[in-house]
Amino acid sequence: MAVLEETFECKKKLAENKKLEGNEIYPHEDIYALIERIKEGDREAFMTVTNRYQKRVFVLAYSFFRNRDDALDIVQETFLRFYQKVNMFRRGENFQNWLLQIAKNLCVDYYRKNYGKNRELKTDTPVEEMNLPLQNGNNPEVSSDLKRIFSACIKKLAERQRMIFVMKHYNQLKYKEIAEVLGISLGTVKSLHYKAVQNLRGLVAPYMGGQL
Amino acid sequence: MINCQRIKKDLVAFLHGELEENERELFKAHLDQCSGCRGELEELKRVTQAADVLQEDIDEAMATVDWEALPSQISRNVFRKEVRRHRDSWLTKAAGFLLQPRLKPVYAGLLIGVVLGALVTFMVFRVSQPTDIADTGFFAPQDFLENVELEMARRDTLDYLERSQYLLLDFVQSSSERSADFWQSEYAAEQARDLLTKKKYINPQLDKFQLAKAKAICDQIEFLFFELTQISVHLSAEEVNKLQRMIEDKQVLLKINLIKKELEKQHEM
Repeated sequence: MAVLEETFECKKKLAENKKLEGNEIYPHEDIYALIERIKEGDREAFMTVTNRYQKRVFVLAYSFFRNRDDALDIVQETFLRFYQKVNMFRRGENFQNWLLQIAKNLCVDYYRKNYGKNRELKTDTPVEEMNLPLQNGNNPEVSSDLKRIFSACIKKLAERQRMIFVMKHYNQLKYKEIAEVLGISLGTVKSLHYKAVQNLRGLVAPYMGGQL
Repeated sequence: MINCQRIKKDLVAFLHGELEENERELFKAHLDQCSGCRGELEELKRVTQAADVLQEDIDEAMATVDWEALPSQISRNVFRKEVRRHRDSWLTKAAGFLLQPRLKPVYAGLLIGVVLGALVTFMVFRVSQPTDIADTGFFAPQDFLENVELEMARRDTLDYLERSQYLLLDFVQSSSERSADFWQSEYAAEQARDLLTKKKYINPQLDKFQLAKAKAICDQIEFLFFELTQISVHLSAEEVNKLQRMIEDKQVLLKINLIKKELEKQHEM
């Protein structure tokens, strides 16, 4: 159980680091005041909100697409939609979740529109030729291949499973928050996350020397 | 006691700290005793750790973005697009209102009205105002104009004949002493010059309206006046008297009267 405690500690530290990098939690009243100003066309307030939430949207989009330019397009489009729909935001709602909901919808639409079967994985080395035990993760080349493998495997997940996995692992969202963003129940989130991890396990295992 | 199936189902949630405190304690107690579930947990943990390799990738990608400049860039694009969207939406609304299907009969009516109006205007103005209105400055039917011109020619001819008649009468009736100097008198010379000038003016009119008889007599008179004014200076009194007699013999004055009557008759007709 000492290993487990270590895992939880590690997760906590990771979450704290993320907060330091731009995932700070802002008081609701502060956000509501900014949004009221944005409704009146205040550009400064809009820039403040963008500055606060841009990284979270980027992380979601980048985790989803694994492409910097596409992720930046999504960031841009998300804040445009936010501005267009700002009057629909109601006091009492969780702004971050509301914004990520916009970003998530855009990611899904963008993926369906621009990504097909042709763009699932772009790598010089076929995935089948990569057989990388996880213990060799310190080697930069091995690490690079591992990233590609994992990236490809994530993309093979069903859309909702992938979104939940990304939100949980890279956006550090709680199940409750994910449920709110996706508009589904907590139980469904838990179940889909479980399926996502199990599917990934099955997808990654052949490339890890069957260790998983 | 929780069974293994329930544990395995929630192991991922347990791994990510998504269980309630009391559930977590139950899970821990089970995992202490069950090596199968512990092994399962270890494997899931390795998947989660493998997922962490992508975190580095995300961090690298984030490091390439200028986060300071991005908000102003986004803001610029958003506000520019918004202005365009507002303008477009205004145009779309206007177009939507004007192009709504229920207005089609109105537009059809307007179109028909415009076409009919144009046609009626064209017809009305085409009849009442011919194309040569700008050239003449007024309009009158062609036959009316011809009648007016004929009437003017007739009057001019009558006037010419009458004045010639009086002058010739004066000459014919003048005494033999005066007749030689008649055409040298200021009055007669002026009258003769006027009549010669007038003859030049009525010539085209006489030709145009084919007043042959009138033209013939007018030509004779013209010749006579020319002769009398130019030659009479060199003539003797006797020769001038001869001329007087010749006018009487040829009944020039009578002929003038007849032509005058004829022209007046034409007028009465």
